[in-house]
Amino acid sequence: MTYAMSEIRSAGRPRKKRLSYATVEPWLYLSPAIVLLVAVLLVPLVIGISYSFRKFSAFKSEYVGLGQYQAMLSDQVLGQALVNTLWWTVASLFFQFFLGLGLALLLDKPFYGRKLVQAVVFLPWAVPSFLSGLTWAWLFNPIIGPLPHWLFALGLKAEPTNVLSDPATAMWGPIVANVWYGIPFFAITLLAALKSIPSEMHEAAAIDGATPWQRFSKLTLPFLAPTIAITVMLRTIWIATFADLIFVMTEGGPAGSTSTVPVYIYVSAFKSLDKGYASAIAVLLLVLLIAYAIALIAIRRSLVRHV
Amino acid sequence: MASVTLQHVEKDYGSLRILHGVDLEIADGEFVVLVGPSGCGKSTLLRMIAGLEEVSGGEIHIGERLVNDVAPKDRDIAMVFQSYALYPHMDVSKNMGFSLMLKKAEKTMIDGRVGSAAKRLGLDSLLGRLPRQLSGGQRQRVAMGRAIVRDPKVFLFDEPLSNLDAKLRVHMRAEIKALHQQLKTTSVYVTHDQIEAMTMADRIVVMHDGYVQQVGAPLDLYDRPANIFVAGFIGSPGMNFLPATVEKGGKVDAVLADGQRLRLPDGLPLKDDDKLTVGLRPEHIRLADDGALKAEVEVVEPLGLSTQFYIKLDNQQVCVFAMGRAGVKPGQTVRLSADPAALHIFDPVSGSRIG
Repeated sequence: MTYAMSEIRSAGRPRKKRLSYATVEPWLYLSPAIVLLVAVLLVPLVIGISYSFRKFSAFKSEYVGLGQYQAMLSDQVLGQALVNTLWWTVASLFFQFFLGLGLALLLDKPFYGRKLVQAVVFLPWAVPSFLSGLTWAWLFNPIIGPLPHWLFALGLKAEPTNVLSDPATAMWGPIVANVWYGIPFFAITLLAALKSIPSEMHEAAAIDGATPWQRFSKLTLPFLAPTIAITVMLRTIWIATFADLIFVMTEGGPAGSTSTVPVYIYVSAFKSLDKGYASAIAVLLLVLLIAYAIALIAIRRSLVRHV
Repeated sequence: MASVTLQHVEKDYGSLRILHGVDLEIADGEFVVLVGPSGCGKSTLLRMIAGLEEVSGGEIHIGERLVNDVAPKDRDIAMVFQSYALYPHMDVSKNMGFSLMLKKAEKTMIDGRVGSAAKRLGLDSLLGRLPRQLSGGQRQRVAMGRAIVRDPKVFLFDEPLSNLDAKLRVHMRAEIKALHQQLKTTSVYVTHDQIEAMTMADRIVVMHDGYVQQVGAPLDLYDRPANIFVAGFIGSPGMNFLPATVEKGGKVDAVLADGQRLRLPDGLPLKDDDKLTVGLRPEHIRLADDGALKAEVEVVEPLGLSTQFYIKLDNQQVCVFAMGRAGVKPGQTVRLSADPAALHIFDPVSGSRIG
């Protein structure tokens, strides 16, 4: 501040190698935002990353360099968690997206009672994730929930057992809950994008001779592409880092079959009390997600030229 | 090319009737303009010809074919929308060739048609651009190019110039008209702008509240409007209307509320004390020292080529149009005359023309 004030006084005779007031001024206006960003974003991030170079024990911590990262290379559990995360993310995203898109297309057409259906469809979004996790866990429980008996009656399961207790099928429990929980997000955003398509464009295409399917594939989809790209990117990152449902329903079990990377981070930090290792895994996840985001943005740029 | 025939066409939205039985014959190669204030049903009528709105009653023929239940793409029409409705993710050539591509036409044939349409419209150098990289006028031209490429039987235009600025609108107006003179394709053009209607149309259809008010050549509508609505809608500055009462004493006079008299033409079916609405076009009122009318000038609008001024006549503002410099000042009292033959006489109750 004093520096800037002296600059005002000496403004009449500019000198070399000294910042002029004009250069500093914009930063002064930006400073509250910068301070806030540094305080709430950068500082915790840097501290978190610095933890990953340390080893914590009960009363002390020591610098171990890249030790934690070397440990990750030989960690079988982490490898399994990465595979689980990929599976959890891709399956959840796939069903959330296509069911959400279908719902948005349905809700874009007028029918009797649409307002009511719309309100009901968006309800899961408003339910706290812990509550929906608990509810779904109960639904899958053969003692109190109907789902195992229905699956048994349909012949999809040999016995009405809990899918969550079988390592081969346990991941499907949280995925189903997550799909239920995440459909409204895609339905809302895609519906908003659909509503922004001018009806005259569809009419022009109808006159030009496009069939309903051609109108969807050649007009609606390209029009939605920017929204799809951005929502898929956001949603991927949210799902990949979303541990609530899994933790509530299975705690990562049985036998680590539902342990995704965020669950593993939580367990490492608060059960194994290995904060350094947990931070190192968190950094790995961060790097992976940033790489994914960059790739997706690049794809979006090359595909979507019209916005 | 084809004629378009509308027989008692009706349109209802629920219990609300938008069009009350429209009858219209559009000849092959004719340029017909549907004009009227917003909400008069002109766009709905056009969209019914296009097949974008269902027909509630009556019949629409394109050529010999009844098209009431024919899909838009099978009607052999092309439409230019107010918003242009270009496909934002396709470049100009793809936009123009989209309909041919959907018909699975040969690539060389598409390129040929797109190329010649682009040349005609001066779009050759823009074929690779996306719609967002074009100006409003260029987009408008692409929309027209898309219509031309299809080589349809009928062109439909839905207020295609409304989104352009005034200068460009005048320019495109002339361009569309020139294009029609080259292609000679039957065209139906919707606008709310009576100047566009006057300048472009072979025939104008004036619509109001879902009824056709009058159909005719531009100057016929101007010279002999069928009712007060058409008289007020066609022409700018608009016609002045004065309420009057008939008084016969040798000659037939219309007496205004303030006692001033206007001589009426002979031979009209009028009798004493009949109520009238007298229509006076601004250019038919002349400054004249021996004029029968006396009024005070309120506002003068010099336009260089001409002068418009407003006078207070019978407690109403009346517009007068004079070529050149009128030499009047606000506050001045002037004498004016009106040629009896140029008066339009309407029945004030029904609004229709008496003479």
